[in-house]
Amino acid sequence: MEVLRLQNLQKSFGSVRALKNASFALNEGEVVALLGDNGAGKSTLIKAISGVFSVDRGDIYVRGQKVSIRSTRDAMDLGIETIHQDTSLAPDLSIARNLFLGREPVNLKWLGVFAPLDLAKLRDAAAALLKRVGISKKLDADALVSTLSGGERQSIAISRAMQFAAKVIILDEPTNNLGVEETHGVLRFVKEVRSAGHSVLLITHNIHHVFQVADRIIVMRRGEIVAEQTVADTDLLTVESIITGADMSALLKETRAK
Amino acid sequence: MTIAAEQEMPRSKRRSSLIRSPQFSSLVILIVLLAVFGIADANFLSPLNISNMMAFLPELGIIALGMTLLLTAGEFDLSVGAVFGLAPVVVMLLVQNGGFDIGIALLAGLLLCIAIGAVNGLIVTKIGISSFLVTLSMLLVVRGAALYITQGFPLKSWDQPGFFVTLLAGSFNIGTFRFYTSLWWFISLSLLAIYVLHYAKLGNWISAIGSNRNAAVARGVPADAVKIWLFILTSVLAGLAGMISAFRISAASPVAGTGYELEVIAMVVVGGTALTGGRGTILGTIVGALMLRSIRNGIVLIGVPGLAYNIFVGVIILAMLILHALLQKNAARS
Ligand SMILES: Nc1ncnc2c1ncn2[C@@H]1O[C@H](COP(=O)(O)OP(=O)(O)OP(=O)(O)O)[C@@H](O)[C@H]1O
Ligand SMILES: [Mg+2]
Repeated sequence: MEVLRLQNLQKSFGSVRALKNASFALNEGEVVALLGDNGAGKSTLIKAISGVFSVDRGDIYVRGQKVSIRSTRDAMDLGIETIHQDTSLAPDLSIARNLFLGREPVNLKWLGVFAPLDLAKLRDAAAALLKRVGISKKLDADALVSTLSGGERQSIAISRAMQFAAKVIILDEPTNNLGVEETHGVLRFVKEVRSAGHSVLLITHNIHHVFQVADRIIVMRRGEIVAEQTVADTDLLTVESIITGADMSALLKETRAK
Repeated sequence: MTIAAEQEMPRSKRRSSLIRSPQFSSLVILIVLLAVFGIADANFLSPLNISNMMAFLPELGIIALGMTLLLTAGEFDLSVGAVFGLAPVVVMLLVQNGGFDIGIALLAGLLLCIAIGAVNGLIVTKIGISSFLVTLSMLLVVRGAALYITQGFPLKSWDQPGFFVTLLAGSFNIGTFRFYTSLWWFISLSLLAIYVLHYAKLGNWISAIGSNRNAAVARGVPADAVKIWLFILTSVLAGLAGMISAFRISAASPVAGTGYELEVIAMVVVGGTALTGGRGTILGTIVGALMLRSIRNGIVLIGVPGLAYNIFVGVIILAMLILHALLQKNAARS
């Protein structure tokens, strides 16, 4: 079943056309890898889906319903959780507070934004979550994020998306800066999320990871989607050649022949 | 198993982090300062002098509470001193020359402060101009307005005691100490600010916005709305402090509060709140307010010539900031 459909999305930054007519669909329980060179428009595409900014033109459908995503809150309410490449955590806040930022457990809910945080629940839930993601080093839920390494921060951001069983989880280069163990943790998490019936949109530059976890591949070049293939029907070289735009397999055959 | 050890660790960690925290070092320095002034001049800790300090403290302290929240969210407001001057001028003019009821005049003053804060906030968040420039311009507009509507002269003195005067600037004696109701305002507002910043959902948002605005927005935190409300709050608190001061001395002057913006910001950062946002402490601000107040008072008492005392104030503030920076570096290294 289709959970998310993008139809002719367009977005320009001044004279830069970051998105030109991007369309694709994401099915339930599917991992789709979004590939493309630097500046291809991948982050722009997912920022449009996650409500960071609105598109100039085009429609977004969630479970067949046309939706308008005007804010990050709209996207979260539709069940779309995103881990951005550049911004994810507030360094001056503790791990626990970051994990629940924007969705804080509170007592006396009727007090609205003045409601007191349920600090005990916050710490317990955070500790349980950290354990579940299997972050290698023991992290104290009260530690400030500014004291963590880049990889640890990434793991925290990912555990946060996990906890709000979202329909669609978008990961923008989640394995950047991660060590071997954390990278495996992320890939394991992607598979876990899929088997729980959720969909994942994974942006990465590591094609090996794609072949380990993705069901389908979408390639972007200069703001356009230039190819769409199921992983079973393609191979590493073909994908690489589509990304760069050069016919690498042909090139390789040529060199082998010599 | 290891559970006992795990639970033990954060507690001892918390204690050591409290000792290294900026508000704690500020507190130590405050105590040292009080002791030095107390020894240098016996009058410093006399009931009369303490009563005096406690009368001034809330006026800047109340503004500093709002400024702390604003700084934590990554913005600041230079127009507070001017609002401190304008609000009572408008209120008293409406009553004295306009013949309005004091309640209505106060309501008008409140709306004026809300409007000033809202304009600051809207320009900063929606147009994206730095709060330094926006509120500096607002300082000129507001101060200019106060001077223009009064033609530069102080108003005639306020001779109408009543409910609101008692509410804002009444005084009472406890033993030989004389306290103003403004102290209760300061204490209540401080408790409220501590609650909001450190225990409420809103406080989590405020810190997150100042720490990494984009991250907060990506989590659905309404960063712009929070900032606009904080600008409004700071403006309203500045107006409240201005009213308290004017009622206490029974007069309003268009130049009241000149330079207060910097003094308030000094109180806040001396207390340990980061000028760059993300880290704020209300307890630190209270300590900072007490410190600046006692420095101003103590320096005069021990006989530093009046004209020289800004030198001392400046040097002490600098020393405090250097200390915080060093502590911060140390904490980052360990
Ligand atoms: N906020 C912005 N303002 C102006 N131009 C932007 C902005 N964001 C992106 N762009 C431009 O849009 C184009 C697409 O950028 P985008 O970040 O989507 O690329 P990407 O595919 O995510 O690249 P990478 O793999 O390097 O992360 C680039 O040319 C970029 O310079
Ligand atoms: Mg990108």
